[in-house]
Amino acid sequence: MTTDKNNQLEILCGKCPQLEMLRASSDLQFYGQDASKHLTPNPTAILLPNRTEEVQQIVQWANEHDIKLVPSGGRTGLSGGAVAAQAEVVISLEKMNHIIGFNTTDRTVTCQAGVVTAKLQEYACAQQLYYPVDFASSGSSQIGGNIATNAGGIRVLRYGLTRDWVSGLTVITGSGERLDLNQGLIKNATGYDLRHLMIGSEGTLGIITEAKMQLTEPPVPQGVTLCALDNFADCLTILRTFRHRLRLSAFEFFSDKALNHVLQHNDLEAPFQQRSPYYLLAEYDYGSPGTQEALEQVFEECFNQGWISDGIVAQSETQSQKLWQLRERVSESISNKTPYKNDISVCPSQAPIFLKELEQLVNQAYPDYEIIWFGHIGDGNVHLNILKPETLSHSEFLHQCHQVSQLVGATLHKHQGSVSAEHGVGLLKKEQLRYSRSEHEISLMKQLKLIFDPKQILNPGKIFDI
Amino acid sequence: MKILVPVKRVVDYNVRIQVKSDNSGVNLDGVKMSVNPFDEIAVEEALRIKERGEAEEVIAVTIGDSAAQEQLRTVLAMGCDRAILVEAPSDLEPLAVAKTLKALVEKEDAQLVIAGKQAIDDDSGQVAQMLAALLSCAQATFASKIELAGDSAKVTREVDAGLETIEVDLPAVVSADLRLNEPRYVKLPDIMKAKRKPIDTLSLAELGVDGTNQLTVSNWSAPSAREPGIKVEDVAGLVGKLKEKGLL
Repeated sequence: MTTDKNNQLEILCGKCPQLEMLRASSDLQFYGQDASKHLTPNPTAILLPNRTEEVQQIVQWANEHDIKLVPSGGRTGLSGGAVAAQAEVVISLEKMNHIIGFNTTDRTVTCQAGVVTAKLQEYACAQQLYYPVDFASSGSSQIGGNIATNAGGIRVLRYGLTRDWVSGLTVITGSGERLDLNQGLIKNATGYDLRHLMIGSEGTLGIITEAKMQLTEPPVPQGVTLCALDNFADCLTILRTFRHRLRLSAFEFFSDKALNHVLQHNDLEAPFQQRSPYYLLAEYDYGSPGTQEALEQVFEECFNQGWISDGIVAQSETQSQKLWQLRERVSESISNKTPYKNDISVCPSQAPIFLKELEQLVNQAYPDYEIIWFGHIGDGNVHLNILKPETLSHSEFLHQCHQVSQLVGATLHKHQGSVSAEHGVGLLKKEQLRYSRSEHEISLMKQLKLIFDPKQILNPGKIFDI
Repeated sequence: MKILVPVKRVVDYNVRIQVKSDNSGVNLDGVKMSVNPFDEIAVEEALRIKERGEAEEVIAVTIGDSAAQEQLRTVLAMGCDRAILVEAPSDLEPLAVAKTLKALVEKEDAQLVIAGKQAIDDDSGQVAQMLAALLSCAQATFASKIELAGDSAKVTREVDAGLETIEVDLPAVVSADLRLNEPRYVKLPDIMKAKRKPIDTLSLAELGVDGTNQLTVSNWSAPSAREPGIKVEDVAGLVGKLKEKGLL
């Protein structure tokens, strides 16, 4: 079998002379794994195509020889969506990292799928425009992966998800057909929009090779404030109060335990002398007359109600960036503790009651574990991280976390929430899919999968098992 | 003892500067303005000195149009006791700025002036030195540490060869370098309290300063874009390229 695969790989490389293939064990480890780090990577080989045509040749070849493929971007996902654990062949899009077109009238940029998010942001900036989707991992995540997971990030409140900025896609489907979808049209009412079906499909229907991304005008200068609060459940009331007077572009929260880890791992100063259990970071349009007064009114109101105990306001971009780092560096600061991550969401209106129930549940279920809360509370998305105690074995830890995840799932189901807000289902959230999607919905998804990928070549075992 | 700290309203350090299309200046429309970062450090140092009980009052002063009040409110919220706005064109030249500050130092009888070592907009870096000369007092520039002891100050300076420590008699003018301290965050309650702190407005004429500029700026242009690097195949290629450029 292995010899067969070797022969087949050689055939492929013969067909595509410019195709780079990696087989060293360090490469297999590196490309076979995403940021979840809970699964052991075991790919057979890594392919690094340069063009859409090569991707198509690879998928056609895989269909011929029944070889399973795992599409791979920046691998910053946390659900195992890009993990190759079953001897698959990984297609890394990282060499397809060129921006290939810009239309100043349409304000669209055509990128290959491997363009790193930050590169698109910088490119937009150089055109005096703005690509608003942004997250902590924008320096390594790639556009193709962002689209395949419909990534969200920190400014969803104002600008929506990756989905809202994709105006065209080139995709090689699981059966090896090339689709050029929507081609940048703003208005296009001609039947099913398969572009949107591809967005968030986690590489199970097709491999995204190029995307036309919409840009917009840059925002006015932004102000940043960090507030301290005692009760988590007040977050949403505070959000409402803020929104009443300020135009927000981000509304994030993190716990004091999260802050502890950030301060331990980074050269950053504690924002307040006196610590509070939770912090909120709000970013808002700043500079129009009355903003400062509005901020003061909001603060006074929240302070008088006892929702906020203290607050600071960045006085320069430098301070804004430092405050943002307190929030953005949480994930990397706890990564050495192999956290079990729940990336969950509910409608913001449901959040206070949901969060209260969840907090109780989690505290009961993990009395001895360190729990780190942070997330994009403004859009109802919470990252709940459970840190592995050093004394516990990895497998026992995972086992216990899986059990609690079922309880979290049931609570989410009750509040009609999502078991995966922005990292996809991948391999790690499969069991919980049923809490967010009905049986009938899942059955339709499986049928769709078989239409686009009848031989189940692409990203097998991700989202659901057929 | 009173400490006087001059602060300047400048385009925020992190803003990408754009030259106007007719080369007549820098585009300031909708651009974020902040306290000059070195001045923010100077304010922080003055406040720390006051908090140690070594000064009674910290007075912030800015020279510019009324929009600069925003920056005075910032430093008042940081903890300055009061502020002075000297109304003047915001492109006042260093010598006129130094003369204005001299008049204020004398008016307030300030024993110590802590100024940013330069403003990040015009990068002149001349005011502190000119001011000390006009006042005929000691100067300690590019400070990374300031220790007061009675009528003198021990100042560690950042110089090319490393650190130099000097002792100067007060009154003195000290200019703040980047490593002097890390400015504090401004708390919202302090912003509100700062609204009740006084800002006095003065004119150049009241201080007897002639604000006429001596220089005319004829043109503004953006720095030329850096040329992209090249990749060489191997060491021989690298050596070849270096020789070609006359670097080897």
